[in-house]
Amino acid sequence: MTAQERSLTVAPNPAYAGTAIADEVLAPTTKTAKPPRSRWVFVWWIVFILGVLYFILPLIGTVLFSLRDRPFLNAYTSILGDPQFFASLGYSFIVGIITIILSIALMVPTAYWVRLRMPRARPIVEFVTLLPFVIPPIVLVFGLISTYSHPPLPFTYSDIGSTALLVFAYVVLSFPYMYRAVDTGLRTMDIRSLTEASQSLGAGWFRLIVDVILPNLRVALLAGAFLTLAIVIGEFTIANFLARPAFAPYLSLLGSNYPYQQAAVAVVSFALTWIAMALIAVVGRGSRNRITVTGTR
Amino acid sequence: MARLAGLIVAGTFVLAACSGGGAPSGGPSAGNMDTLIANAKKEGNLTTIALPHGWCDYGDMLAGFTAKYGIKINELNPDGSSAQEVDAIKANKTNLGPQAPDVIDVGLGFAPQITGKEPTAAASGQTPGPAETLVTPYKVATWADIPDSAKDPDGYWYGDYFGVMAIETNTAVVKTVPKTFKDLLDPKYKGQVALSGDPTQSNQAMSGVWTASLANGGSLDNVQPGLDYFKKLNDAGNFVPVIAKTATVASGETPIRLTWSYNGLGDKDSLKGNPTVEVNIPTEAKFGGMYIQAVSAYAPHPNAARLWQEYMYSDEGQLIWLKGYCVPIRYDALQKAGKIPADLAAKVPDSTGTVLPTLAQITAATTNIAKGWPTTVGVTVK
Amino acid sequence: MTGAAQTMPTQGATRPGSRRFGWTWLGLTPFFIFSTLFLLIPTAYLVIGSLQDSSGNWTLQNYSDLSDPQTLNAYLTSIEISLVTAVAGGVFGLLMAYAVISGGLPGRFRSGLMTFSGVASNFAGIPLALAFIFTIGRAGFLTSILSNLGLNPYDHGFNLYTKLGLEIVYFYFQLPLMILIIAPAIDGLKKEWREAAANMGATDSQFWLHVAGPVLAPTIIGSMILLFGNAFGAQATAYQLTGGFINIVTILIGNQLTGDVLHNVGLGYALAMGMVFILAITLVAYSFLQRRSERWMR
Repeated sequence: MTAQERSLTVAPNPAYAGTAIADEVLAPTTKTAKPPRSRWVFVWWIVFILGVLYFILPLIGTVLFSLRDRPFLNAYTSILGDPQFFASLGYSFIVGIITIILSIALMVPTAYWVRLRMPRARPIVEFVTLLPFVIPPIVLVFGLISTYSHPPLPFTYSDIGSTALLVFAYVVLSFPYMYRAVDTGLRTMDIRSLTEASQSLGAGWFRLIVDVILPNLRVALLAGAFLTLAIVIGEFTIANFLARPAFAPYLSLLGSNYPYQQAAVAVVSFALTWIAMALIAVVGRGSRNRITVTGTR
Repeated sequence: MARLAGLIVAGTFVLAACSGGGAPSGGPSAGNMDTLIANAKKEGNLTTIALPHGWCDYGDMLAGFTAKYGIKINELNPDGSSAQEVDAIKANKTNLGPQAPDVIDVGLGFAPQITGKEPTAAASGQTPGPAETLVTPYKVATWADIPDSAKDPDGYWYGDYFGVMAIETNTAVVKTVPKTFKDLLDPKYKGQVALSGDPTQSNQAMSGVWTASLANGGSLDNVQPGLDYFKKLNDAGNFVPVIAKTATVASGETPIRLTWSYNGLGDKDSLKGNPTVEVNIPTEAKFGGMYIQAVSAYAPHPNAARLWQEYMYSDEGQLIWLKGYCVPIRYDALQKAGKIPADLAAKVPDSTGTVLPTLAQITAATTNIAKGWPTTVGVTVK
Repeated sequence: MTGAAQTMPTQGATRPGSRRFGWTWLGLTPFFIFSTLFLLIPTAYLVIGSLQDSSGNWTLQNYSDLSDPQTLNAYLTSIEISLVTAVAGGVFGLLMAYAVISGGLPGRFRSGLMTFSGVASNFAGIPLALAFIFTIGRAGFLTSILSNLGLNPYDHGFNLYTKLGLEIVYFYFQLPLMILIIAPAIDGLKKEWREAAANMGATDSQFWLHVAGPVLAPTIIGSMILLFGNAFGAQATAYQLTGGFINIVTILIGNQLTGDVLHNVGLGYALAMGMVFILAITLVAYSFLQRRSERWMR
């Protein structure tokens, strides 16, 4: 496929194909221009500031509490001085990345297939993806242990097996978020045209998903990735009962009768997770060629 | 597709049923300590569950065991509940990995669920039936020192320590420290008193209600006065419906909480005067809560499990619990033998006269408080 | 603008040349196999366990126990709290996402808000409950500031330890979830459409009513069900904040499965099955709403 063939464009929403608006919207753009109305900007600033205030006040509350420890900043120095803190955080981070990759690999084709070929299956698939919300995590982990702690699939017999089981459990936990994010992203694309065009150009399924669908899902995949990483880093029950050296079980060892340290830990892990998200965002920004497809007007 | 999925599920179940369930294993008798130590060291690992480091100084207990025998300890779920410990054994019956607990430390009320001898606790609506045998009998070397009322005659479970229900107060916020349940009703403590949990979920909180009952004309068999007391406390506006922990005591949100004496004293130590905390046992009632030890019948490391028990019930182990402000079960025997250092004895509040309920009383009280709490004290649905 | 036909794939459309309906299900095989292995099998334990009593005999007692008035009240409260936070989180999340993406704010705000939302979406449980206690609890720092200004909220009827307080706390992870999930959809709303609509003389309300609204509606509804499920399954936050005083189902389940006092596992499982059932019904309602909102597009 030449560069020329790659640069095809179309209005992303099929509802507007062939309408006057679509004619105005020929140029592909990934940047959103600023609207000219200053009146509206004022309103959005208010909305934003209110939101920020709401988010930041509880964090301030936690920080203020953690600073009550004596000597000053003791809560922070004692955590950051513990190598186990970073080791367990690193473990959870890596597990998180693997979970994200596996989840995307599973969910994107599934959501794509449901949208394109099997709309009838949508309720079933959505129900299954929402199930993790109502299955108590302790039931999930004990169910997994009971099933996979003996032949034919003795995951728990080895470290790597237990970690694999953890990843699989986390992929399950990410189902609702990843599916919803991918589905939202797919809605903004005309996947029918994209598929037909790509296939008529000779692309196979794999090529289609990886080179055509995925790049257009960048925003959605980032959202799903953030949500999944947050879940993995914060998840306690499953990691704990599977005896994995993850972050949340390590935190629980700190003990609840060291309250200032606990508060400091909450703040530090919040900050570190935020940095991890930012890293993912940078990686995700990448320089993929966005392939979109021109329809006929 | 659905049929295939169903077959897979069914097939897995058949497999699970066929290969599940190991027979309870017997172990070496307490007499052959050297053999036990050797075998335990060969196993090299021990898996414990629900042992917070700050609870009865388990931190030192775990460290001491590893230091003495070189056996690595794998700690599961430090903040776990007794129910989770029992369920963990059940889920891991065929698992030899580090997810299967070797030993458990649960509330006395859970004894029927683990021995397979008595019917399971009749929680509301539940049909009692034979329980599973989840633990295996083992009598430690110092078995004779454990009072008869605190152990199963066949050795399935044995009491380890107990604490007394106390009132913990943040004295930086509360100037006049309450010393009795009657004090707590005083209007000056408006919005300041809390329990350490939900009485339908937390043994500690349930015991708080039970102690209140004893302090207000009830008895070990009658918990209604306790429920009535908390209704009064709630109506007066003194009761705060939030889980009180060290954090909320320290922040001043729940400057007064009902908790086990060892937790309160542990807070006093860990907070180091920031803020200052005082722990008082209510003068009207001294209620004791006992926990029990047991070795899992499906323990992947049966020898290490038994060695751990031996360690905890040795003089060294018992004194570590005492250091954690928990009254070890062999306290009387140790005291008679003069083995308790005076400074340690002074730190723990005087436990003479502590009332310890029997298993039957615990079962009954649990049911009554669990049933009565939502209706008597009531859930606030504003 | 209106009248353009929606070219959604029609029901049952299959690849040209393939006549057997069954083959298209194959595309979902990886998903179903994975789900079966790691989700449906543990769920089977739930189903089977809910039909057993503590000694393993088959019984329907657990399900009949669900008709207890306290239990029914718990379900209603759970549903109420989940609905309220789903709608509130949905509306404000939409507004905030729109503000940073298309609202004329500096571009940096967008990535900052997205990454922050990622973290905040899972800031729940004990740390979140404590954070709010430290802030607007009776001894919270904001409460003392307001108190010094003579505006102590507790004197005016506010109480963190109520349903409203719980909803305010839940909002903290609902809002970021909505922001993240709706972002791709807003991104897909091209800026040029706005300008083009303006150029053609459409007012703002016309734009929202005829362009942005229809495009976003299915996604908004879909996101709200996610928020609903998210709040529905939350437990640790509520338990810490209310000591079990607020009667919701997940706490009742916790009482049975992870408590120190009760341990009627079968009942716990039955309660969870009740939640599964409610989720299924919600999904039916949601699918209905979705289809109606998609018709709005035509």
